[in-house]
Amino acid sequence: MDWLEQELKRALERKEPSPDFAARVSAAARRGRWGSPRRWMAVAASVAVLAGGGVGYRWREGVKAKQQVMLAVRIAGGKLNRVQAHVLEVTQ
Amino acid sequence: MMAVAGRETAGLEFDALVKEHRAMVFSLAYHFLHDRGVAEEVAQEVFLSLHRNLDRVESAEHARFWLRQATVRRSIDEARRRKRRPQLALDQVAEPAAAPFGRDPMLGEALRRLIAALPEAPRMAMVLRYQEDLDPPEIARVLDMPVATVKSHLHRSLTLLREKLARRGVGEA
Repeated sequence: MDWLEQELKRALERKEPSPDFAARVSAAARRGRWGSPRRWMAVAASVAVLAGGGVGYRWREGVKAKQQVMLAVRIAGGKLNRVQAHVLEVTQ
Repeated sequence: MMAVAGRETAGLEFDALVKEHRAMVFSLAYHFLHDRGVAEEVAQEVFLSLHRNLDRVESAEHARFWLRQATVRRSIDEARRRKRRPQLALDQVAEPAAAPFGRDPMLGEALRRLIAALPEAPRMAMVLRYQEDLDPPEIARVLDMPVATVKSHLHRSLTLLREKLARRGVGEA
């Protein structure tokens, strides 16, 4: 090995990363396994949207059913009025 | 069996692997990319990838080879993706300041700059040769290229560095 190769070995000898590198990598590995807080927040937001959507759907269906019942009552009421008027005509 | 950052694997403990190989992984990336911050990012990605693939690692020696190869690939990908350091021909790089040969602290930095200016394949071959002290067949395995190509990269790079340094009077008398 000549002088240049010896200088290259010196110039390219291993260096240490930041002192907290190993701790950061281990923490990131654990986060990767259990999911990052951001990932959990995204999951929670999705659940909230789905649950909210379910509640909204049920509320809209309830309103629709109520409107149908009211319509049926109005139709039935109209028919009863006509029957009552007819009965009155006949009896008089 | 040992707990490995939330996982279990036969005989290989993730935290111990990080501690043992962090200098090797970081330095490969650093000497190739010539940027501490980017090198730390690459090193972290490499270790996280090892964590995901730890069940495929068969031995301590396999882990060392796996880490070297993963670091080489990620460093090359990173250099291409970021293009932070434009590729320069060796002749375009500023020559190191003239200084008497010896324990010149500037010579080390000049050599690192000259190596950082080499094209990808010869640069990584030089880093593996002089940082990791690998011989050409071992470098060929890591870089997945013929041994003759590795020898050619090393020979040409050394010749270029010698010429570059000699022009400034740096070298053996």
